[in-house]
Parts: sequence; C-alpha cells; structure tokens
Amino acid sequence: MRKPLISGGIVFLIVLLFFAIMPSVYSNEDLFFQAMVYLALAQGVNILYGFTGYLPFGYVGFFGTGAYAASLCITLLHFPPVLGIIAGGLASVVLSILLSPLLRLSGAYFAIGSLAASQMVYYIVSNPSLQNITNGPYGINLESVYQPHTSYVTMIVILALVMGVVIYIRNSRFGLSLQAIREDPVSAGMAGVHVVRQRAIAWFLSALIAGLVGGAFAWHISVFYPTTVFDLNISIFAIVFTLFGGVTTVLGPVLGMFVLYGFYNLIGISEPQYFQLIYGILILLLVLFLPSGIVSIVKRRGHYVP
Amino acid sequence: MSHNPLLVLEKIVKQFGQFRALDGVSLSLSPGEILGLVGPNGSGKTTCINVIAGLYRPEEGSVFFNGNKITKYSLTKMAHMGINRTFQVPKPFKSLTVRENLIIADQYAKRPHQPLEELLDFVGLTAYASREAGSLNSSQQKLLDLARALATGPSLLLIDELAAGLNPSELDKMAEKIKHLAESGIAILLVEHLLGFINSLTKRVIVMNAGKEIFEGDLESAAKNPEVNAVYLGG
Amino acid sequence: MLVYTVISGILFGLFCSLMGIGLNLIFGVMRFVNLAHGDFLMLGAFGAYFAYTLYGISPAISVVINMIVMIVIGALIYYAFVPRLLRSRDPEMLSLIFFFGISQVIEALSVIFFTNNPRSIDWSALGTANYQLFGQSFQESWVVSALISVIAIVLVYFYLYHTKLGYATRAVMGSLDEAASSGINVHRVSAWAMGIGLALAAAAGALSPFFLGSITPNMGSDITTTSFSIIIIGSLGNPLGTVIGGLIYGLSSMFMQSYIPSWANLVPYLLLFLILLFKPSGLLGKVVRHA
Repeated sequence: MRKPLISGGIVFLIVLLFFAIMPSVYSNEDLFFQAMVYLALAQGVNILYGFTGYLPFGYVGFFGTGAYAASLCITLLHFPPVLGIIAGGLASVVLSILLSPLLRLSGAYFAIGSLAASQMVYYIVSNPSLQNITNGPYGINLESVYQPHTSYVTMIVILALVMGVVIYIRNSRFGLSLQAIREDPVSAGMAGVHVVRQRAIAWFLSALIAGLVGGAFAWHISVFYPTTVFDLNISIFAIVFTLFGGVTTVLGPVLGMFVLYGFYNLIGISEPQYFQLIYGILILLLVLFLPSGIVSIVKRRGHYVP
Repeated sequence: MSHNPLLVLEKIVKQFGQFRALDGVSLSLSPGEILGLVGPNGSGKTTCINVIAGLYRPEEGSVFFNGNKITKYSLTKMAHMGINRTFQVPKPFKSLTVRENLIIADQYAKRPHQPLEELLDFVGLTAYASREAGSLNSSQQKLLDLARALATGPSLLLIDELAAGLNPSELDKMAEKIKHLAESGIAILLVEHLLGFINSLTKRVIVMNAGKEIFEGDLESAAKNPEVNAVYLGG
Repeated sequence: MLVYTVISGILFGLFCSLMGIGLNLIFGVMRFVNLAHGDFLMLGAFGAYFAYTLYGISPAISVVINMIVMIVIGALIYYAFVPRLLRSRDPEMLSLIFFFGISQVIEALSVIFFTNNPRSIDWSALGTANYQLFGQSFQESWVVSALISVIAIVLVYFYLYHTKLGYATRAVMGSLDEAASSGINVHRVSAWAMGIGLALAAAAGALSPFFLGSITPNMGSDITTTSFSIIIIGSLGNPLGTVIGGLIYGLSSMFMQSYIPSWANLVPYLLLFLILLFKPSGLLGKVVRHA
C-alpha cells in the first residue's frame, strides 16, 4: 500500500511545481490561474462522480455560490479576501446541505435535478429585485482588493488541498467505501458502511471545493457578472476533463485538464464553435470507445494509475 | 447448543400491493443451528431473508435478535449487530478487487472474525484476490458474497441459494464448510432449491407455500406429508 | 387580465405539450434522457425559418416536412449508436453523456452554418387574423400553432393506441424483457420511437418562433430543461401525461409573467426541482424511479 501513495505524491508535486514555476517562465498568469480553477473543479467532480457515481450537471451552482458569497462578504461585510474565500466555501456547503435531498435521486434524475438547482440559484442571485444585495444582473466589482499575485498563490494553496484530499480518498478506506456504495448501495450497507452518511460527506466535500475555488476566482478576476460564474460550461468543462482523463484516479483529471484545456486555449478562444464541434465529437468517441478515459489504456495492461 | 434463541420471527406479514408475500411467518433459530427454508418459487423464502436482513420492512409482526426487537433497523445497523447474508443474484462491488470487497466489510463492520487471508482460502478465492470482482463467474461471485458476509463477523448468517451451479464434489465441500461455520457458533438460515444439499446439512427444515409455513421437521417426514407433496407436485 | 392569462396559458401549454412529448416518448421506450432534445427542436426551427424566408413555405407545412426528415435522422442515429450504448457498462449515464455530446455537435455546426444572429419568423406567417375567445383577442399564429399541437398529439395517441407498431411500443415501455421474449423486434420499435420522438421535437421547433421568441443555435439547452420539467410534471415515460405537464407549465408560466414577471424564469426549474424531490414519478405516475 506504500507505492500508490508515493506515485500519488509525485503527481501532486509535479502539478504544484508546474503552477508555481510556470508564471515566471511564460508571463500569462491568468491562463495558469484558470487552469488551476478547472483542475480543482475537475477533481471536485471526480470525488462526486468518480467515487460515488452522482453526475453533477449543476456543479457550477456551488462555484457561483462561492464566488458570490466570498464577494459579498468582502464588499458588504469588509472581510479580508482570504476569509471571504473561506466564507464562500462554507456558503457552498450550506447550499449542499439544503440540496442534500437530491441525493435520494439516482442517475439521470440527479444529474438534471442538480442542473435545475444551479439554475435556480442563478436566477435568484441575478434577479433585479435583489439588486440591493447581489447587485442583480450587474455583477460584482472587487477592484478595491485586487491583488492578482496573492490570489494566484491562494489558488495554489487551494489546489494543493484539493489534490491532497483526492489522493487521500484514492488511497483510503473512505474512498473504498464510496466506491462500494457506487457499485451497490445494498451490499455496502450489508458490509457495514453508513451509506447515507458517507455519500453526504462526499457531496459536502465537493461543494466545499467548488465554493473555495469560486471565491478565489472572484478575487482573482475581481469584476464579473452572474453569467460569468454560473456559466453552465464551467460544469461541463469540469465533467468532460474528468471523464476524458479517467474518473476515480488522481491522475485522470490532471491529464484531462492539461490536454483539453491546453487545446481549448490553442483554438477555443478564437474559434469557439470549431472547438465545441471537436469537443462534442470527442465526447461521442469517448463514450463509444473509451468510456473509462485515457488512463484506462494503461490500466487495462495491469499497471497501477495513481 | 444454547436454548435461548438468537433469532425469533413473530407473525411476520409482508405485502406488495395486494400480494401477501409473507402471511404470518414465525420461526426461531439458536446459535450454531442450521435451519433450511424450502418451498416452490414465490413461496416467500427470499422475502423472509430480506425482512430479517432489514431490506424490507414488514407490515405486521416483529423480528427479535438476541432478545432485542430489530424490526425497523437499517441494513447497516444489522451488519454492525452481527446479521449478514448472501444474495441469490450475487451483489459484489464489481469494479473493486476481491480483496478490497473483503477489506470494506472488515473495516466498516468492525466485528471480530477470521483473518481475511483465511476467509479467501475458505471460499477458495485466494488466487483471485487481486482480480476485479466483476471478472469472476457467478458462482465465484456468490462465494465472494459469502466471504464478505463472514468478514463482517456475523453471528447470524442468511444464505440465499448458494448451491446452484456447483458440481457434486464442490457441493460436498460447501456442505462441510457450512457445517464448520455452524460448529463455530454461527446460526445459519439456508434458502435452497437442492433438497439433497439441505438434507446433508440439517434435519430441521421449514417448508413454505404462498407466504405460509406448511411443515416443520426433517426432509424425510416432509416427503411423506400430503400437503407438502401437493405443493411440490403442483396439486 | 385573468381570462386572458388563462386562455393564453392553455394555448401556450398545448404547444409545451408538443415540445415535451417527443422527449417523453424516447424516455419511455429507451429509458434515455435525450439531452439533445432542444437542439433537434432548434434544427426544426431553423428548417422552418429557411423554408419561410427563402421559399415562402408556411411553418404549418414545415411541421410536416420537419417530421418526415427527422424520422429518418432519428432512425439512423438509433441504429448507428444506441445498440452499442445499450451493451455498455452503464447505459444510463453513458447515454446521458452521449446525447450531451450530440447536443454540442449540433450546436457547434449550427453556429458554423447559421451564425449566432438571432432570427425570427414574422408572426403573420400563420395568418394575420385575430381570434376572439371569451371576449379576449388572440393572434392567429397562437391559435393555429396550438391547434397544430393538438393534432400532433392526437396523432401520437393514434400511433400508440390504434396501430400495431403502437401496441409493440407500449409493450416495450411496459417491460423490455417481456416484450422481447414475446417476439417483438425491440430495436425496430425503438428506432421508430427515436425517429418519432425527434420528429415531434422538430415539429414543435417549426412553431417555436411564435412562442419562444427568436431562434438562435444555443437555444437548445434551456428547451431541454424546460421540456424535462414538463414531462416530469406530467409523468415520465407516459407520453400522454405530457399534456397535463404542458398545461400546468403553460398556465403557471403565464401567471408568473402576468403577475410577477421578474421571477418568471424560475418557474421551470422550481417546478422541476420540487417534483423531482417530492414526486419523482410525476403527478400521474406510479412507477419509474430508477431509469
């Protein structure tokens, strides 16, 4: 049981060193920041979908909630930004507690239910009647606390925590119990696993991750609109990155993010429709020919993937 | 053998819509005892196991375990108390390895039991320990169910159709193993189609039909009972 | 105001029933959520738009053309991909992701070919008259569209209850295994259901400019969620239950728009959310929890 932990640790170090060093090699800090955001979100999806089998189409709801809660704590309650981010994470956890009845649904019902929930949050936050609090559709301005370098470092710390959590889950009995629940909840119960509790912990954890990341994102870009942080594409990117790389592993979402997000930055920004086309075709090919992601090529040969 | 029964069912009624799957079933089982449950398809044998194991809530009646009423306990709680089972259609954690299947039961049920390597050996799956459970054939998966149930350290074991698919020499070995488990003090409730297999294990059999007990005793006397014969000959 | 709201809610609701019914048919037969439903509807809307602006073909005719074209496309998609999906490890989740991929491809191709400019069909395309219903005045396009929706739904009823194919389809909806073991060609039935399901979406698409405003390539995903709310409210897997769902949805969104317009957007999601949580089988449903 030592070796898996070491290989997980190697992935951890490479990823974090990459993000720590790259801004001084190639000066587009925002690009690397966004990459970290997507990697952390992809790992959050990994915890939920990979380990428990719940596909959260509405995952962005937690991200947006984190971004808004952090921003409002900073602007209205004058929290220091880092404290605001923590509040953003907690706000997402509160939302996930409110939404936990969704876990009674399975499969497609959960996926679409979570989507409906995130759209509801979006329509509430962006509603003109709440302009006094959320500024409605006109967005948030955090320029007074804008410190791109500090927020970049904060994001590295969050990513380190997220990667650490996923490595722990991948190598612990907690992760094993989640997979057991995913495979067969009745058998998991008979094996002594508290099904409802373990599942809820994974749900809260993934919400916490999205909330923290949303808070850090808000601080880093400092000016944004409800459509920016509740953009359904954020859920979709995180899900596709995870699926592409391979769920239930530490490495899968990392590979998925680097390959696909790199690709997105090459052609996606100037020609989004061609990117979307290739993306869509990639999803079709993936589902039809490689449903367990690219790591499954290595796994099938009997190699261990961290 | 102790005379305080470990498991008592009192007048259990379980309905699915209009259909009475169990219609006032009572039975008791002591530590170390093997009780066979036989009857035609749909007579309520598996439903009976599902009620005891906490998968179904009965509409009427009570289940007592060690003198405590456990009728409304959850699966997980039952597992922690020492009630476990196998499934007619095996339900392993398919994408996990055979050993991981047992590790979960070991770590979460937190009850004393034989070491996992011995359990693997006991069900003959040592060579498959690192394979994915989904790659096993169906009778191996049933054995894995059994090993996983044993890894929770049960004092009551409910076995649903273990013998189907085993050849005669495997059947003999399996019968020895089950006897061995009973000798170690585990109470065993056995649902089985193969009457010869049951006969080699126990003299105490309950015959069920249409959710009711129609006979209790050994199989030889059951064979002479007109009501039992009527049921089995479709009369 | 009240009478107007009620009648327009019913007219809109009938259109909504048509919008959802194809999604429900496909779900009922294949237990798939067609996440590209709204995108097929969008294709139907563009079809009607080009037919009208380039050749002056009435959207009412486009409804028929759309349906014929989509039945063929649906059957092709079915035979090309679905049997393979059904054999996979987790058909339910993988099909969800698969149809999501289809929706991305359709959306991207639509942007490439049609551009992102919003289009609309003049409301007079279905006639310029105004109808008086209970002392309220409604434009002909609404009344005619609602009528076409009713005709399409009646045809679905006929297909399901008065044709041989329909009997087989309902048998597959009831129990796949039993249908297969009684000699029904499940693939053939499902391919038809897929074709008819998409055809109904495209039919609704031809009428959508009159109810949903302008046509854009990215209108699909909102329509998919709205349609999903409608069929959940009615009853998942029961195509005719969709009519109830459509009417409830149509009426409640008209009431919201008349009385509290700023919160009207919340309606479909709120209804979907509440029904999923409290009555996942829909208002009429008894079964179907696990797809």
